[in-house]
Amino acid sequence: MKIVVPFKSVPDPYAGAGEAAKSVINPFDEIAIEEALRIRERGEASEVVGVTIGPAAIDEQIRSALAMGMNRAFRIDDARALDPYAVARILRVFIEKEAPQIVLMGKQAVDDDSNQVGQMLAGLLGWPQATFVSKIELIENNTRVQCARETDGGLEVITVTVPAVVTTDLRLNEPRYVSLPGLMKARKKPIEVLSCEQLGVSVQPMTKTLSTSRPPKRAGGTRVESVEELMVKLKQEAKVL
Amino acid sequence: MAETLVLIELDRQQVKRPSLHAITLARQLGGAYALLILGHGLDEVAASLISYGASAVIVADDSALAEPLADRYAAVIAEAIRQQGAKTLLGSSSTFSKDILPRVAALLDAPMLTDVLALEKSDGATTYRRPTNAGSMLATVQLEGDRRVLTARATAFEAPAADAAPCAIQQLKFDAGGLPNGMQFISREERVSDRPDLTEARVVVSGGRPLKDSEHFERLVGGLADALGGAVGATRAAVDAGMAPNDYQVGQTGKVVAPELYIAIGISGAIQHLAGIKDSRIIVAINKDPDAPIFEMATYGLVGDLHQIVPQLIESIRKG
Amino acid sequence: MVAPMTALDVNSTTREVFGNIAPWMQVVFFVMIAASLAVLAWQVLAHFWQWRQGRPGGFEKDWRVWLERLTVYGLAQKRVHKKSLGALLHLLLFSGFLVLTIGTTLLGIAQDGPYYFHHGWYYLLYELTMDVFGVAFCLGCLLAMYRRAFARKPSLGHNWRDWWLLSSLLALGITGFAVEALRLHYTQVQPWLAHWSTVGWLIDSTMLRGIDLGTAKTMHLVTWWLHTILVAGFLASIPVNRFLHVITGPINIAARPQRPMGQLVPLTMEEVEQSGRTGVHELADFKQQQLLSLDACMECGRCEDACPATATGKPLSPKAVVVDLRRLMSLGGGDVHQTIRDETLWACTMCQACVQECPVLIGHVDLISDMRRDLIGEGKLSGPPAKALQQIGNQFNPYGRANADRLAWAEGLDVPTVETNPNFEYLFWVGCAASFDPRAQKVARATARLFMQAGVNFAVLGKEETCTGDPARRIGDEFLFQERAQTNIETLGRRQVKKIVTPCPHCHNTLKNEYPQFGGQYEVQHHSTLLAELLNSGRLSNELGETDPITLHDPCYLARVNGEVDATRAVIGAARNEQFREMPRCGKKTFCCGAGGGRMWFDEPPSERVSNLRAQEAIATGARTLATACPFCLNMMSDGIAGTPGGEQVRVLDIAEVLLDRQTSARPK
Repeated sequence: MKIVVPFKSVPDPYAGAGEAAKSVINPFDEIAIEEALRIRERGEASEVVGVTIGPAAIDEQIRSALAMGMNRAFRIDDARALDPYAVARILRVFIEKEAPQIVLMGKQAVDDDSNQVGQMLAGLLGWPQATFVSKIELIENNTRVQCARETDGGLEVITVTVPAVVTTDLRLNEPRYVSLPGLMKARKKPIEVLSCEQLGVSVQPMTKTLSTSRPPKRAGGTRVESVEELMVKLKQEAKVL
Repeated sequence: MAETLVLIELDRQQVKRPSLHAITLARQLGGAYALLILGHGLDEVAASLISYGASAVIVADDSALAEPLADRYAAVIAEAIRQQGAKTLLGSSSTFSKDILPRVAALLDAPMLTDVLALEKSDGATTYRRPTNAGSMLATVQLEGDRRVLTARATAFEAPAADAAPCAIQQLKFDAGGLPNGMQFISREERVSDRPDLTEARVVVSGGRPLKDSEHFERLVGGLADALGGAVGATRAAVDAGMAPNDYQVGQTGKVVAPELYIAIGISGAIQHLAGIKDSRIIVAINKDPDAPIFEMATYGLVGDLHQIVPQLIESIRKG
Repeated sequence: MVAPMTALDVNSTTREVFGNIAPWMQVVFFVMIAASLAVLAWQVLAHFWQWRQGRPGGFEKDWRVWLERLTVYGLAQKRVHKKSLGALLHLLLFSGFLVLTIGTTLLGIAQDGPYYFHHGWYYLLYELTMDVFGVAFCLGCLLAMYRRAFARKPSLGHNWRDWWLLSSLLALGITGFAVEALRLHYTQVQPWLAHWSTVGWLIDSTMLRGIDLGTAKTMHLVTWWLHTILVAGFLASIPVNRFLHVITGPINIAARPQRPMGQLVPLTMEEVEQSGRTGVHELADFKQQQLLSLDACMECGRCEDACPATATGKPLSPKAVVVDLRRLMSLGGGDVHQTIRDETLWACTMCQACVQECPVLIGHVDLISDMRRDLIGEGKLSGPPAKALQQIGNQFNPYGRANADRLAWAEGLDVPTVETNPNFEYLFWVGCAASFDPRAQKVARATARLFMQAGVNFAVLGKEETCTGDPARRIGDEFLFQERAQTNIETLGRRQVKKIVTPCPHCHNTLKNEYPQFGGQYEVQHHSTLLAELLNSGRLSNELGETDPITLHDPCYLARVNGEVDATRAVIGAARNEQFREMPRCGKKTFCCGAGGGRMWFDEPPSERVSNLRAQEAIATGARTLATACPFCLNMMSDGIAGTPGGEQVRVLDIAEVLLDRQTSARPK
């Protein structure tokens, strides 16, 4: 069984304000990589292949992913600002070529927060999807995947037939730490670079970001000294009780 | 024929009220809009939706749609769009809409925007505002193409008035037998609660890790919520520690809420949590660390031991 | 037969050796002993070959160090001494066995050597000494049997072999005395002479009365052979049980490399490239000296008794680690992780209590650290500690805060920095905890204010300070540590730093004992030492004033690992304060708070928290203030005290805060 893990390089979400943020693997995708590796370590998959879209600057994140233990990694060379639908369309062509049994990826990228690519990809491929998954189990001789999903109403369990697209949620696992020697070993693993042309796909993003801004900072309020004072303020000042 | 189709979310044949807020976005967009519901045994709920000023309430009612399986729902919704000739599909942000609508977008060859906060029309062009980077940035975005899919953040739009003249109910014709079969529903955690829904409640009381365990959590956070008739929320840390179930989680990767009153107990205010509460009208923070970041965002802050303060607060509220 | 001696003929008093033993029997005797020694040697050689499977080196080369160590730890048994039954009985057994062995050897030399010295006063004293130590030896055996049967300390290990060993030893002792008694009887030694062989004489005059000479001679022969066979058997079987430590113990005591306790061994990229591994994956990845140390263990269990992880029910016992690795070695080696579980390795706080207790100087912490490095290399770490390491790598501190915020604690204080005060004498190294942890920031403030009040010429690095890398090294990412170390050494060099003072014992240990491994040499002090100096010279007020009952928790890395116990007490005025009480397990034998070894960053269920255990001890002293001298101890003990009944009365403070309080109240109003 082959698992393809699409992942994205994003600015470090935990970087302090006012510092040039380092780039890291999108935390949700890291969870997907970790899960794919565990499935392979259990003997249920033979290959974990990574794919990402971006310029050469993101190679460091690809090496991190390889250092975690992926078999192979691809970079689709495209430096444009793409939107989720463009990403999904490019990935669709790649997936059809690689023909994995499972596409496992993070549910959303922490910079864009769209939460769309996995579902769009599934729609384009015509494959079943399991989103926001917190537990994965391969059943019936690896022909179905049983997943617990984190939904607004609580945990929901579904099964999907393989091939399928699965997107991961936070509580699925905790990714392994990669140390410097691991990264150095990963330098020996090749990153295959493909252009959209070579893939045979040509897409234009349909979303254009005109501008970005910081939302107004919510003004801090007052400190109260006691429960009595708080009750007074809530009743009389805020008029919310 | 409507230009816009609004997907209304149901939960056991009841309307999920936040999903109605997408109607307000439809009204802002202008033009005719129809409401769409999917499921099984929907006569009553369809009748409850006829006064929202829609051109029609479209009903896809079949046993094959008893559970919201994305492959089936997306196929049916795409079919409804085609039959209506609609250009825009709207929903309200929820795990339901996030699961299904992107798939529909792909079937319609359309781009999609999640968590739309506002729209602006100028010179015939429409731009949308949405949050990125855990809400620390706002992006103004334009879409291209014939069709588009949008989810609206319910807290950014008002609840629509239901005072229009009643509209017709249409049964959607579709090939139920030809629906995809690759997904199978197994089970859902059914938790029955007297408390209001977290995303709909007027008051939300949330707890963090310092609550120690689920017993304390329920007694203090749950107790205060019940005294105020509110809903219960939790931070990621509290859910991870097993103090609260995952659907209580409020934050960037949990639920976004904007109640009248949000009380944060033992919550330090990590940015990922703040992303889920910043539009609340009044925020009260109770924490023993005077330097906790949440105090920068709280309307009222009380520094002290929550194990002493919360019982006092509950007592005070009960006495009225 | 020897003619009876006259009372005046002391000089010629002696005894016949092999008196009853026919020459052919003597030959058999020598052959038997030679054979058993050969069997012993062959077994020891087999162990030696097992040690050789390891990586070469790790041995102490300086013979003067060997001599010193063998004297202090081998002969004087420094580590063994304690107020306990175990220490007493070992003293008896050890001294008894040693003297008896030396005595027998001397007899052999006298017999077969050029000069027969075994007579006269020497002989008489010899007889007495051998008897006294023979009694000591037997007493030791009996006490050991008693302790094993009734005290049943679990960490001692209970095995049929132990009973067999003790029984054999006791039998050797008893048969030895029996032989002596029978010899005295059948050679009809004069009473005044016989008294010198006291025990034998007592046995003779009580139990052997009335036995005729011929019977006695036969009995002597039989008993002599019994004793000899026991000796031969015993010698041959030394390696089979704990007794092996009499051979391997001294070897490890001598050979163990001389290093500061808090220093771990660095790894180089070349080593990693050669072996393809970081740390120890297979037994053969250990150094030869480490493998030899495994065989030195006599399973006394003192390491286990001292271990905070064992005390809180975690799956770690330092003794089990050594014994399990030793078993792996006897089976031919292989993957250590099949024998030692990951959880065992992660549970260690590296407090070094085990290393401190071990009578044969085994380095348990190094064994664990080496195996942890391999786990990191294999990607076996995830969760909060992985996050902490990632944050050290990306934000240069384990808390993931912006490094530019390093001076947030100093707001409103006007603390001199290396920019504003380039001619500083002391570099005040704040450390990540005191820079970012709100509770520990108060320690930084208190320390800075004390320095300013005393007029100390100091400066802080501000955002040029980055994590020393200590958590990375302890958790096992050696290269992340080296990366931080190189950067910091460069910064310290650029700022021409000579003296460093820091409130954190972990920073203190790393800067002092480990940075020299990479070329960084500085005079490093813990803030307690500098503060004590300031008190001594009068630059800070030493007034005690009214105090609550107060106690002190010694941080492991300050007290045990770096031997500093006096300065902390001086700072809180312990000697002059009637209200000061010591905690159980204080000073160099302190008990860990649970944060070391990177454990600060691991999740632990409350029932397993070492800090809760220690908090109970603190509360039990009746103190209202618990003073400590480490920001991690401060954090752990604050949590522990807060979570323990009776803790509401106790406040936890750093020694700097205690001292600052006294300064403010001492100042004239």
